[in-house]
Amino acid sequence: MEKAIEVRGLLKDFGEIRAINRATFDVSKGEIFGLIGPNGAGKTTTLRIVSTLLQITEGSVSVFSLDVREDAARVREFISYLPEEAGAYKNLSGKAYLEFMAGFFSSGDKERQQMVGKGVEIAKLEERINDKVTTYSKGMTRKLLVARALMINPRLAILDEPTSGLDVINAQEIRGLIKDFVRKGTTVLLSSHNMLEVDFLCDRIALMDKGKIVESGTPPQLKKKYSTSNIEEVFMEAVR
Amino acid sequence: MSNFTNILKKEVKELLTPQMIVGIFIPCIMLVFVGYAMGGVMGEVAGGEINLAILDDDDTKNSKNIIDTLAKQENITINALEKKETEHAIEEAKEKGVSMLLVIPEGFGSKIDQMEVAQIELYSILKGFGMREMASTAKVQFVIALINEETAMRNIQEAVPGKNPIGLLHPILPIDFLVIKEKVAPGNPAQLVGVMMSQSVMIPVILMIVVMYSSMMVITSMGMEKENKTIETLLTLPVKRTNIIAGKIVGSSVVALLMAGVYMIGFGYYMQAFTQPAQGQLPASIGLADLGLTMGPIEYGILGISLFLAILVALSLAMIIGVYTQDVKSAQTMIMPLMFMVMIPFFLLMFMDADTLPLALKILLYAIPFSHPIIASRALLFNNYLPVIGGIVYMAGFALVTLWLTVRIFNTDKVLTAKLSMKKFKMRK
Repeated sequence: MEKAIEVRGLLKDFGEIRAINRATFDVSKGEIFGLIGPNGAGKTTTLRIVSTLLQITEGSVSVFSLDVREDAARVREFISYLPEEAGAYKNLSGKAYLEFMAGFFSSGDKERQQMVGKGVEIAKLEERINDKVTTYSKGMTRKLLVARALMINPRLAILDEPTSGLDVINAQEIRGLIKDFVRKGTTVLLSSHNMLEVDFLCDRIALMDKGKIVESGTPPQLKKKYSTSNIEEVFMEAVR
Repeated sequence: MSNFTNILKKEVKELLTPQMIVGIFIPCIMLVFVGYAMGGVMGEVAGGEINLAILDDDDTKNSKNIIDTLAKQENITINALEKKETEHAIEEAKEKGVSMLLVIPEGFGSKIDQMEVAQIELYSILKGFGMREMASTAKVQFVIALINEETAMRNIQEAVPGKNPIGLLHPILPIDFLVIKEKVAPGNPAQLVGVMMSQSVMIPVILMIVVMYSSMMVITSMGMEKENKTIETLLTLPVKRTNIIAGKIVGSSVVALLMAGVYMIGFGYYMQAFTQPAQGQLPASIGLADLGLTMGPIEYGILGISLFLAILVALSLAMIIGVYTQDVKSAQTMIMPLMFMVMIPFFLLMFMDADTLPLALKILLYAIPFSHPIIASRALLFNNYLPVIGGIVYMAGFALVTLWLTVRIFNTDKVLTAKLSMKKFKMRK
């Protein structure tokens, strides 16, 4: 299957701290690939590198066959990154924020309005979409950000804890939405602490610990390999 | 809409909040208010009405002459008094709201006739200790000068009939001339410095306000991106880093220019209060054009380039500093060194000329890019283009290097990872 992301021997140091230690994995087109692991495992750093935000110490990362170092500008045309602790511009309304973001991905006003319409639909903020972001709750802001990330129909969505801060109902809705987008051709690379979410969403997962990929495969494969009933137990067994 | 325009619009919307607008207008309104209040007082000092009461205990031809002279003055209103004793006259004057009481004692006329020094008593009736009371001193001086002049003239006329009393009283009338390069024009150095100061102080003030506001806006914008955690998303958008930097710089400048413009209006009203000529003093009528001390369109153009480059340097430096901020609060603290860089030339050059400074200070002054527009504003008046062009070249180089550095930094991951660690600094020490 054609690769959306290829990570080879990725190494990232922050001074004396090694955040990622020779990680290697692939993500196929149209796949939902999950990175799971404890805090400080290197998940966010990996996502940031794939998103062209951080530089690589060693190794290589390519997105749709484009090197993230050499062709960062072109890679940004295909991706949509949702950081874990992202915020939106507080003095803009939710709709103005979506319009601002759509402006970078649309070729004309019509396409831009279509994207914004889609964003409004995904965010489900009703009339509050016209209020300033500063008046939003954490959950409302997160929904707006998810809408922003998906409304542009990205070829690759990089989602760091996509349902963080959302209640059960909203989180479930977002998971369904991500699945819908994948059906329409979007590839998703995500990270999550929520093992149930990963089990439900991901076609394949990689378990990260201390900057290393300790295991990877489909959730059923891994559960079978470690003879466990859930991914949480797989993880505990894999890092033991 | 281009990416640059999109970012520019967002920057303006983000920075121009209702709180910010209130923050712009309140100092402006305060300056206008203070300016008007000061202007009223200064106006009173300069040529306000003198409300005078006179108690004439002398009742002679000489005392009447003085009263007639004072009554003929347009700015003096004479109030009649019923009381005949000083203490009661003071009370009556207070009741009538009179600000000054002139008492001409008995024997005044005879002393004047004998050409001896005669005393008069002037009572300034104070209602407080504010600026307004300063006016009474000037008014007293004015009334005394008027009485002295009038009495002296009459004495001279009587003593030396047929002669011009002015020629005897003021036998020498100096006419001052200034020579600057090949130009000669009427005036004296004090007048020239006064006029030059009032004009040349505006350039540093404009520069300081615009640079301060615009660099504050840029760094606030960076602080907000980090505080609101929007910077990561912004940097993964398909936008050239140069567009992000340009959008931030131009957007912040638009808001800063708006703020500076509003502030300057307030400042203009405030300064008007101090530009009134003092009582009896003629307004400075020095001909700067006759001395060639005026700027034409070319000079204004050059000064504009110099100001623009100084602002560009400040903005790109603020962007670099902004990379190291964590939030708006830290941004406003970290901008202080830049503010000092703007203030040093402002205060040094307000009171001194660059050429008169010690060598070390001179080097420091020329090394600070923000000195050059101030130096240029003066040098251009004297058609001294060399330091101006030198300053422009220096600032252009400085701006290019800082802008290049800014773009370089934005192309690395320093925007996300850089922060100033004071802990580390302390530990190393």
